[in-house]
Amino acid sequence: MPTETRFQEIKRYVRLDEHDAELLREFGGRIAAELPRIAMQFYDRIREHEDAHAVLNGEEQIQRLQRSLVAWLSRVLGGKYDERYHEQTSVIGRVHVRIGLPQRYMLTAMALIRVELLRLADQLLGAQAGPTREAIVRILDLELAVMLEAYKDSFVERIEHAVKQERRALGTALAQAEQRYVSAVDLAGVIIVGLDRQGSVQLFNREAERVTSYARDEVLGRSFVEVLGLEENGHFRAKLANALAGQASNVELESSLRTRAGKLRDVVWSLSTNAESRDDSVVLLATGRDVTDERANAERSRQNERLAAIGTLAAGLAHEIRNPLNGAQLHVSFLERAIKRKSNDPDMLEATRVVGDEIKRLANLVTEFLDFARPKPPELKPTSLVKAMEHACGLVAETAKAANVELTCDVPSSDVEFPADPGKLTQVLLNLLNNAVEATGATGGGSVRLRGRRGPRQVFIDVEDNGPGLPGPDAPIFDAFYSTKEGGTGLGLAISHRIITDHRGTIDVSSQPGKTSFHIALPLDQSAGALV
Amino acid sequence: MSPSSKPRSNKLLLVDADFRTSQRLAELLAEDGFEVEVVRDGAAAIARLSRAPMPGTLITELSVALADGSAIARYGRSLDPGLRVIVLTRHPNLLVASSFGGSAPAVLTKPLDYARLLDLLHDGGRGEAAVEAGALSLRP
Repeated sequence: MPTETRFQEIKRYVRLDEHDAELLREFGGRIAAELPRIAMQFYDRIREHEDAHAVLNGEEQIQRLQRSLVAWLSRVLGGKYDERYHEQTSVIGRVHVRIGLPQRYMLTAMALIRVELLRLADQLLGAQAGPTREAIVRILDLELAVMLEAYKDSFVERIEHAVKQERRALGTALAQAEQRYVSAVDLAGVIIVGLDRQGSVQLFNREAERVTSYARDEVLGRSFVEVLGLEENGHFRAKLANALAGQASNVELESSLRTRAGKLRDVVWSLSTNAESRDDSVVLLATGRDVTDERANAERSRQNERLAAIGTLAAGLAHEIRNPLNGAQLHVSFLERAIKRKSNDPDMLEATRVVGDEIKRLANLVTEFLDFARPKPPELKPTSLVKAMEHACGLVAETAKAANVELTCDVPSSDVEFPADPGKLTQVLLNLLNNAVEATGATGGGSVRLRGRRGPRQVFIDVEDNGPGLPGPDAPIFDAFYSTKEGGTGLGLAISHRIITDHRGTIDVSSQPGKTSFHIALPLDQSAGALV
Repeated sequence: MSPSSKPRSNKLLLVDADFRTSQRLAELLAEDGFEVEVVRDGAAAIARLSRAPMPGTLITELSVALADGSAIARYGRSLDPGLRVIVLTRHPNLLVASSFGGSAPAVLTKPLDYARLLDLLHDGGRGEAAVEAGALSLRP
């Protein structure tokens, strides 16, 4: 009997045969149109779970993964289960290991897909669904078995690596001292990384694990700079090399590091050489403080202070403007009456009417300024994300059509309620959507997308456009009176920012030519503390 | 209804530091049948209220020199509780309705809509609450 491959063995074990393959191929063909919907539901579910959501890296990645999931489902229901199929599934498993997706999420996510496919089988085939149902269960079990192999492989690799490190550590007395260091610094609230003379990690404390999401055994023995993706501009490397060579004893420097999930964190490092070291085990201690959140909060706080100061100024100014407006308005009323009494000249009456209307327009502007400077707190009530989005899209649809801009309202697969002031939320969405339509409309043939999704603790709303982008990354677009539009008051985004922060949410922007995205995060639970 | 049951005098006392504009307003009101006196500050307003004949209506800015609008109103109402008070202001949000020594004043936000003032004066006290609510919402 020829030697059985691992894949053949698994296939035999789950009893997946040619008949199953035929049934799956036929079923796959009939439900092809449903696959994008299943993929969207799948990722919407993932977003609701904190650990699972944490391994994802932004909306673009999710869109890409949704497309991959559709491709995967097509392959699973494709009816061809050979060695190439096995290799493709193994690759997916290895990706799951690499991004650190906990196994429990893979298992529960597979259950979600299983339920959807079985439900579709029942709908399509009714009483005859039995054999197809069994085939679905077998192929999904086979997928799970192959993917779990990847976790096993990774686990073995990590154990082997740990054993190698342990042997090395046991070899010297200094290694034992290092172990004591590890114990002493493990619970410190700062990142502490010990490096040997080659710059390889020999000590990695708990805070370092928390910030980077790497387990200690994954990084020990590997290059500090490479494993944490420390910035590549040479500056960090040069200073580190100097410190490792003993040419500098205490060095302070900053660097961004890349976490296991690929997210960037800003860290302030202090490099101290270990003069006591008598061998290569730990010659340098890198102590780091993750300042990413601190800096973001400080920037938001500065922004709020600026807005408050400008708001007070605007309020004072607005009130003072009302006096001269009052004088002008009364004199216009007087003129109008005098003209009516003397000549009743229609041109002169029209002129006074225009002046009167302009004064009223100014008065309205003053009122808007005051709305900004002395806003009323939001009146929160349970608000449907889908309804809020559809309402805003409905209001902008005509403008978008007139500007030849394609407007997409990308709502979540299932609605979510969150506390918000619906009127104020609509004001923000309208402001962002109108800006986006104006930005893309100018270049012609643009597209604008409003996307809403649920996260573990927040609702995310993005407004994306493919317009020319913001003038620069530091453009103070949320500051009052800053405007890039001719005739703009520069208050729209400032008011939007204030409304979102009054909801204890955040609003940020990322922009490059051809793609600008405003990201709003609003808490699902107002009592859970501010996001900022 | 007006706090007083007797017919209201058509004499108006107008208190505003912007004298040129007040004079123009007085001219318009005079043409519409009112007898208007204009003063620039709180002290002049109180001095005028001290002598007869008492005006039926006080139209005042909220913040005027030497005594604010509510102090002038309280003084006037100490002499005639039926004195009608209309506040014409650029600071509607600063108004404390209870500080006017009687019923809450009607409030009109600058720039003044003359037709609304006229409606209010002709309407007696009946329209005051509505005008006040409209003005305090800061909406034109």
